[in-house]
Amino acid sequence: MEQRKKVIPESYIPIEASRTLRLEGKDYLLMNDAMYTFYERSMGEFSQFFMALRDEKKILGCRCSACGIVRCPPMLTHCPDCAFAPTEPIEVGQTGKLLSTPPITYFATSMFLDKAPFGRGRVVLEGADTALSIMLYTTTGILTPGIMKKGTEIKVVFQDERTGQISDIFGVPTSELTPEQVQKPGLLTSELNWAAVKEPDLGQATEEAKRVSQGALVELESLLKEMNASKRASKAIENWKRTIAVKTPAVEFGLIIDNGRIWLEKGRPKSSDFVMATEDIRVLLDGLNYKGAITDAIVKRKLWISKNIEFVTIFKLDRLARFLAREKKEGAAKG
Amino acid sequence: MAKKKSFAARKVGIVGASVTPFKGRWVEKTFYDLAQWATRDALKDAGISPAEVDAVAYGIYNDIFERAAIPEHPLQGIIGLPNKPGIRVTNGGATGIYTIASAFAFVASGMYDTALVLGVEKATDCYDFVSRSATPEVIKTIAWSGDSFFEQKIGWTASDSYAEVILAYMDEHPGDLKPEVTAKISSVLSEHVKTNPYAQRQFDQVTPEEVLNSRYIVYPLKEMEICVYSEGAAALILAEEETAKAIAKNTGRPVVWITGVGLSNEWSFAGKGMNHWGRIYSHHVAAQQAYEMAGITDPAKEIQVIELHDAFIQQLEISMAEMGFVPMGRADALIDDGLMLDGGPISVNPSGGLLYCGHAVGASNIMSAWAARNELIDKGKHRALVHGTGSTICQYGGVAILEHED
Ligand SMILES: [Zn+2]
Repeated sequence: MEQRKKVIPESYIPIEASRTLRLEGKDYLLMNDAMYTFYERSMGEFSQFFMALRDEKKILGCRCSACGIVRCPPMLTHCPDCAFAPTEPIEVGQTGKLLSTPPITYFATSMFLDKAPFGRGRVVLEGADTALSIMLYTTTGILTPGIMKKGTEIKVVFQDERTGQISDIFGVPTSELTPEQVQKPGLLTSELNWAAVKEPDLGQATEEAKRVSQGALVELESLLKEMNASKRASKAIENWKRTIAVKTPAVEFGLIIDNGRIWLEKGRPKSSDFVMATEDIRVLLDGLNYKGAITDAIVKRKLWISKNIEFVTIFKLDRLARFLAREKKEGAAKG
Repeated sequence: MAKKKSFAARKVGIVGASVTPFKGRWVEKTFYDLAQWATRDALKDAGISPAEVDAVAYGIYNDIFERAAIPEHPLQGIIGLPNKPGIRVTNGGATGIYTIASAFAFVASGMYDTALVLGVEKATDCYDFVSRSATPEVIKTIAWSGDSFFEQKIGWTASDSYAEVILAYMDEHPGDLKPEVTAKISSVLSEHVKTNPYAQRQFDQVTPEEVLNSRYIVYPLKEMEICVYSEGAAALILAEEETAKAIAKNTGRPVVWITGVGLSNEWSFAGKGMNHWGRIYSHHVAAQQAYEMAGITDPAKEIQVIELHDAFIQQLEISMAEMGFVPMGRADALIDDGLMLDGGPISVNPSGGLLYCGHAVGASNIMSAWAARNELIDKGKHRALVHGTGSTICQYGGVAILEHED
């Protein structure tokens, strides 16, 4: 995982500038701005918990001296269910079961765009009675629904470089690990066997597939023309620039996005920002035609992209499709 | 569950209401002007001047959206209420319903005779300069609401938090919340919004198929099952019984009485012994309190209009079950049995809800109350329920019962 040097990455910070936006014949001012506060945050009663993650690769809970319930994370120093009897720190296990089926974030906040898709789930660790919320990953590629559900056994894994925060740990299903890895306390990210990001083998195209692809390409070109002609649709890709190398068994081409415009260039592009591969070019065409999202095609493994961070571009393409479909529909409704 | 004591207080009614248009972005107006606009229109609706308003409760959810701590202080003078009491309420997504409850308490207690409920929110000034779009920064701003020690740093968002609850419910009731039902509900709401000229998506009617085809944002939630961020303001004028009757006589618009209010804040951390996981208990408790106060014993028979905080369609379904309109585990009866279809017994979100009218957070539940009041008066219906939800894992729940006697 990427180690960031600054609390706020340089790339997030806009330049000092303003611009004018004209709306219905009147000008309005838009100002680049930020509201920021820096902290040297005191971790107080949670210090032990976070230092145990950082320094000892251990997970602490807190045990109520009256009822014996073990809470992890150790949320409180006194138990509200037992007339505020004091709690004491206690180490808990590093495997546990998911309390419920975890959500998977495909569209993340601006701080987590490079981490998506990720799961976040509540694991009741061995020796604990309450659930610890952690990020969840699969070592097998993109996280899709069904890999983890209620009751799935999870192993906590520690980042190699830790600073004493909850993101120092995450979970993977124990079924993806060797028994030795499951047993090992303080298992590190670098000890896992992460699936390499490799392009799927698309195989050879049949003559029939080649013919179908040619037809699809013609359709795609006319669809892109419509998108460029629509001011509303273009908004989805304004200020965005990407060259996508699209690979199918029958045909390869470049999909170019450049500040509100999108077009196709025949043949493999000389250089590209990322690769999109699919056995059936119709998957991409349907997505752009607003018949099933491209995001979902990736989730369902019908389409592959070489960089997860480019989900950002995929969202823009899905949006482009929606904006155009909506414009056409409203146009039809108005006659 | 906290027991509600017998409730002795003054009767409180709504005598004026307004909303500004909800829009994806109000470049033309700051929240100062939006707030004043809603105030002007609500006062006009009630036919009174600022001098006749005794107090104000502001519903403004997020300081970061407004880009100011204490964002309400400039408003006091702008809305013409200097040297009068003002209280700002911020309770996550449920800010609006808690603001209504606070102003209700002001008036019911006898402290003040009239009160203004004023909700306003900006949102989409937040902008991510990396992806060159607003949404990732808007959801980041909301994500500062996750627990700051254990949740914010692992990608907590409002969507993933509500998704957790929904998935836990689906673990318990695997046959419920069928995708074709959630898609149909979204489609039904998109039809309702046609008659709401203040809505962000008045002309965005969608078919169930389009909903099914929309992309995952957070599994299992699809784009067209999620509310949209909005900017706008909404206001209500509340008054005690005699004042309310006098105002109604003057305007010719009947008083809509607030006959029940319930609020509940759950634990925010899930786990054995710490949460009713797979349930939205806050909505259940808030509804029970409100029913008790209003003397309702069978909500499905006694309530005709519901303006429900539909942050997510799946949550709308669970909330309807928690509030007693459908059985837990059989929330799909809303569609399968036609309960919320045209001609069915319950009108759910005639405004189009937060999905289609929009979610201008601090103003949203106040918009819902505005819509419920219109529905009662204009359609001659008797009783409505206004609902709000907010905070992590639907931790906050609020319910108000509105009644129209004519
Ligand atoms: Zn205890």
